[in-house]
Amino acid sequence: MNRWAVFWVSAFLGATGIAAPAPDQWWNPGDDRPLPAYVEYANTWGRLGVLNADGPVTTDGHPFFEPLGPNGRACVSCHQPADGMSISLESIGSRWTATNGSDPIFAAVDGRNCPNLPAKDPASHSLLLGRGLFRIALPWPPVDAAGKAMEPEFTIEVVRDPTGCNTGPVYGIAGEKREISVYRRPRPAANLRYVASSGFGVSPFIGKTGMLAAIDPDTKRPVNMNMMADAREATLKTQAMSAARGHLELTKGLSEQALNRIRDFELQLYAAQAFSSEGGVLDEPDGPTGLGPAALAEGRDGVLGNNTSNYVIPMEDKWAKLPKGADAAEASRNTFRQSVQRGHDVFFFRTFWIRDAMHINTVGLGNPIKRTCSTCHGMHMTGMDTANGWMDVGSTNHPWALEPPESPWAKKLPELPLFKVTCRKDLPPHPFLGREIYTQDPGRALISGKCDDVGAIVIQQLRGLAARAPYFSNGSAATLRELVDFYDRRFNIRFTEQEKIDLVNFLSVL
Amino acid sequence: MQSSRLRFWFAAIVLAPVVVSGPVAGQRISFVSCPIIRDTKSVPCWLSQYDGDTYYLTIQSDVSAAVQPPMLGHQVLVEGVVSDAPPICGGIVLEPVRLSVMPERDDSCNKMLPADDRYTIDFNPRPPGPSSGRLAFAPAPRTGPAAAPPAPEGPQSVDLFFDFDKGVSFRHPGDISSILSLAGRLPARKVKITGVRGAHLLTDKTLLRESENVGRRRAEEIAGLLRGAGLTVSPEIEWLDGKDEADGIEDWRTRRVTVVLTP
Repeated sequence: MNRWAVFWVSAFLGATGIAAPAPDQWWNPGDDRPLPAYVEYANTWGRLGVLNADGPVTTDGHPFFEPLGPNGRACVSCHQPADGMSISLESIGSRWTATNGSDPIFAAVDGRNCPNLPAKDPASHSLLLGRGLFRIALPWPPVDAAGKAMEPEFTIEVVRDPTGCNTGPVYGIAGEKREISVYRRPRPAANLRYVASSGFGVSPFIGKTGMLAAIDPDTKRPVNMNMMADAREATLKTQAMSAARGHLELTKGLSEQALNRIRDFELQLYAAQAFSSEGGVLDEPDGPTGLGPAALAEGRDGVLGNNTSNYVIPMEDKWAKLPKGADAAEASRNTFRQSVQRGHDVFFFRTFWIRDAMHINTVGLGNPIKRTCSTCHGMHMTGMDTANGWMDVGSTNHPWALEPPESPWAKKLPELPLFKVTCRKDLPPHPFLGREIYTQDPGRALISGKCDDVGAIVIQQLRGLAARAPYFSNGSAATLRELVDFYDRRFNIRFTEQEKIDLVNFLSVL
Repeated sequence: MQSSRLRFWFAAIVLAPVVVSGPVAGQRISFVSCPIIRDTKSVPCWLSQYDGDTYYLTIQSDVSAAVQPPMLGHQVLVEGVVSDAPPICGGIVLEPVRLSVMPERDDSCNKMLPADDRYTIDFNPRPPGPSSGRLAFAPAPRTGPAAAPPAPEGPQSVDLFFDFDKGVSFRHPGDISSILSLAGRLPARKVKITGVRGAHLLTDKTLLRESENVGRRRAEEIAGLLRGAGLTVSPEIEWLDGKDEADGIEDWRTRRVTVVLTP
């Protein structure tokens, strides 16, 4: 389905006022209804377009949509089309209400703060219900690709354990399973042709550290390691297998045929905001060429953005100067569109000092650097980082991570665990955090065992943001405004109020 | 009267070199000091002060730059040759210059100077915003096919250089890939990897040495990466102390691993 076809569908939906949530917005595993070639779903900011480039998908018997494991989940449980192929906090809350906590997404394995907590008690699921976080249990110490235990560059202690999981006798770090539990948002399973692309920066070595890159077990070639928060899975197929065993509790995993079907489905699926409540249809044929799902379906992956030929999100200044409008509705639409264009320009051209951010200030640029948002969010069409895109912007590490101050009067206590990481004395310290680091989630370090990787998280794609709040891997930004505010605080950017509004509007149409 | 005149000439002869004793062109200089960042209307420039003089180090560019900027929060080891070029950003130019960020934190290194109209950068190869489509120092795209490299003959030696006390970084994949390529073309039947603990004779005659185990750590790290990336020969590993090599002339070369490939 090309840009024109998507435009007419979107325009028709707009004209007929189909903007309210459809009754079939939620996909249950085994629903067995077809996923259309193109469908739009309402969200707070307008409508998200979901485009299957290969045409309608028969979900009956499809391993992405069928409940394959004992807990009744399918991939679609946590990768909902209406939520940009992630799952929004709003959807999680709705499912709790609709099912009294019995939806498979609340399964004990990772839908509770810890599997040993009582079922159907909201307190047992507080991180999922409050921040959209699933439990990710990782081995401690880390293991290499062959499953052999590594000697990490640091020791780890549990400083705070609100869920009880990391200090428990079974699931704790020193427990029977020798696990460490961190809590993360599901990443969108759309636009993955871009996310998994090997078109730029992929070599046998990790571009930012010089270490060995992960290898695709099928092709034996290096991969971009840009897919998961900690880049622990090499390919879409290994991710699907790992998720089937972990999240779906499928002991035997998936067949080769099922893995291939999941991969093929994901590589042809695109999701992006298609209609803005204030800005109108986003993928008009004569509009900015980077907006809407059809633009993603037609775009080139593995391309580093620049300001001459491959803008990260191409807008061609088409909304820079618009007429006042023939009527109030058009005037309002054009005012919003001009704000989006300004937000785009802030994203690209508003410099600020990026300081003490691991894996950006350490790759030969200096500390600090005077650059822009697009320095890190630089890949064409998605705004991801280049390959091996993990970085510590402070979303999980002290002192920048969201931590409500504790006091006798505090109504809200810290929700996430806090770990103390102590780096070995015979090795150089973390260049910005030293040898003692406090973190809610050590991120990539739980896979690499490297002190420099503590709190480093792979940068996510920026598409479909309107459909899948909250943001950051730990769900610490409830809204797009909070996301912008985090960066404003972290890097002392001092955005003006107008710049913040424009940035939020820009992000809302991606 | 005569005695006071003698005292004058004595003082003039003895003290004159002291009064004008700034660095002279061609002089090698090596010191550890805090870096300073000065903003400009385009990209920031980096400076450092030593013995009362301010030196220009480099500007912010991108990963393709030959000289990459230091870090606030850390001291920097500067090794360079004083140039007679006009000052840049108010600093004496060192050309060539080699910088290495010292690994331990030093929070006193925190000086950021605002943009000042007296200091401008007119050779900015890369703006602070989005790039123009290629790296600042990247060579122009090739117009024809690359010439095949000559077939190597006899033992081949490759040096990899490191930051002070640090191991493999983003700078090394190209070197390691070259070694692997060379090993395949020889083909190498023996590979010897020697890690060196670096040492620096600074301008003030201090002997600055890296950590005791860094030579071994580097050699083992390079060996592990070569094996992991496909080297089939089991390499021989050794490490040594570069203290005797430190003479104040390009001492950064002591922070190295040498890989010798023998057919």
